[in-house]
Amino acid sequence: MKRTGFVYDDCYLRHDTGGYHPECPERLSATIKWLESSGLLPQLARLPAVRADQRWIEAVHNIHYIIRFEEACNFGLSEFEHPDNAICRETYEVAYYAVGGVLQALTAVMAGEVDNAFCAVRPPGHHAEVDKPMGFCYFNNVAIGARYLQQKHGVGRVAIIDFDVHHGNGTQHIFDQDPTVFYYSIHEHPSFAYPGTGREFEKGSGPGQGYTVNSPVLPGRGDEDYRRLMTQDMVPAVKRFDPEFIIVSAGFDAHVSDMMSGVNLSTDGYDFITEMLVNLAERCCGGRMVSVLEGGYNLDVLPLLIENHLKIMAGLR
Amino acid sequence: MFISDRMCRELITAGPDLTIGEARALMTEKGIRHLPVVDGDGKLLGIVSDRDLRDAMPSTLLKKADYEQTLARISGHPISEIMTGNPQTIYPYYTIQDCLLIIQKKKVGALPVVDDNGRLQGILSTRDLLKAFVNVMNIDEPGTLLCIVVEEQRGQLKKIVDIITEERISLGSVLVSRHWDTEKRAIFPYLLTNNVINVKKRLLEVGFKLIDPMQWHLEQLPKR
Ligand SMILES: [Zn+2]
Repeated sequence: MKRTGFVYDDCYLRHDTGGYHPECPERLSATIKWLESSGLLPQLARLPAVRADQRWIEAVHNIHYIIRFEEACNFGLSEFEHPDNAICRETYEVAYYAVGGVLQALTAVMAGEVDNAFCAVRPPGHHAEVDKPMGFCYFNNVAIGARYLQQKHGVGRVAIIDFDVHHGNGTQHIFDQDPTVFYYSIHEHPSFAYPGTGREFEKGSGPGQGYTVNSPVLPGRGDEDYRRLMTQDMVPAVKRFDPEFIIVSAGFDAHVSDMMSGVNLSTDGYDFITEMLVNLAERCCGGRMVSVLEGGYNLDVLPLLIENHLKIMAGLR
Repeated sequence: MFISDRMCRELITAGPDLTIGEARALMTEKGIRHLPVVDGDGKLLGIVSDRDLRDAMPSTLLKKADYEQTLARISGHPISEIMTGNPQTIYPYYTIQDCLLIIQKKKVGALPVVDDNGRLQGILSTRDLLKAFVNVMNIDEPGTLLCIVVEEQRGQLKKIVDIITEERISLGSVLVSRHWDTEKRAIFPYLLTNNVINVKKRLLEVGFKLIDPMQWHLEQLPKR
């Protein structure tokens, strides 16, 4: 059994996307309710969400972008630069707490207070670019986390592994030329799915050449392809990179029942992915891993998938 | 949709008396594959492609001394001797669809664009044309591709577009393709959004069949 940290705060529910949007507060409220009734919650180390210091957000995002985001929320706009990106007056603040929650989890793992941690945060982050919101994302939580580990905790090499069904364009672009942050993503093929990036030939550039690996999965495919691609493409590349810390972009929208995608990953398939990541962290970096929620829109299965993910991280299964 | 805003207007041209040697140097320096030839009034006389130049070169099988001698002799000839005179031209008001058909039919790599008096206005290469199509299909913007199978009857596309509009989704492009079943069509809307759950649900509710694009591809393959 491991000590697994769990970040959640009711403030994450205050990012109101207008009632007719799949990235809704119910994603988290349903999850918390489920985890409470299943009895898992007391077995986890609850970590508080705090407001992130803006300098960490500036480690990734352009200051003008941060100000535009603040103004859009303060003006009471209902969307930020694209109808996908629904906002309310509180979104800007909530986004700081989402980043802050991730930084808390990273700190707790680095301090040895917990072995690993999961952050049930919203808004999600992996589509957010340096100066552009995209696909329901405003601040790139995992990218900021990687910079924080490097600049605050002196961690050299960070691997980000992204199993959300959509390609994490923001994360990839932020570290495109950076050989100190390895990015792996497995996602639905960009010919069919948002955002249209993440083909096999996107491998990083300049000094970052070879530090990005993408595995596109064709619609209609599922467990078998994930198993094969992660074994072939991800494991050897991560071992070669030899990370000191693994951050996971955990998206549960590849599930067969999730209408956001055409990929058919099963509940068992998700278990396999988590097992693989936990083992990889064990072998490479003493189990140091923080997993951060990205997508997952079927309210009937998301709580269960998160529960399974947590149980495997905590060594309860 | 019109080529006037898709063609290249920063023209590098030559007079008919430019030598083959000079033309080679010019095209290499500017990195171009097509050199329009014009008279003093800017009227189009012909076009020289990198292929025309290569064809005019001496064989590399010649001995070095022979090769150089022949090359020197050839290089002094004017390009008017090797250009394609009276080439296929297009007008600025042509659509990119027209040009796609012409380029396919004539098997050329570029089309000179002239005005009604035959004066050169621009040039449109296959590369410009590809860029134009990427652009009109909007596939250089983030989005999601749906595949909907519909019965071949009037008003189907309207229903689909109405639902997309009501969901406040902006439509990048729509492609319509013949289905394996002659009574049906496959419609591929490219939606500029990540948010496809609600629109998919509504399409299903009104009875459309959404299919996985890969499934469509597999079913299209000839049956053994
Ligand atoms: Zn996603």
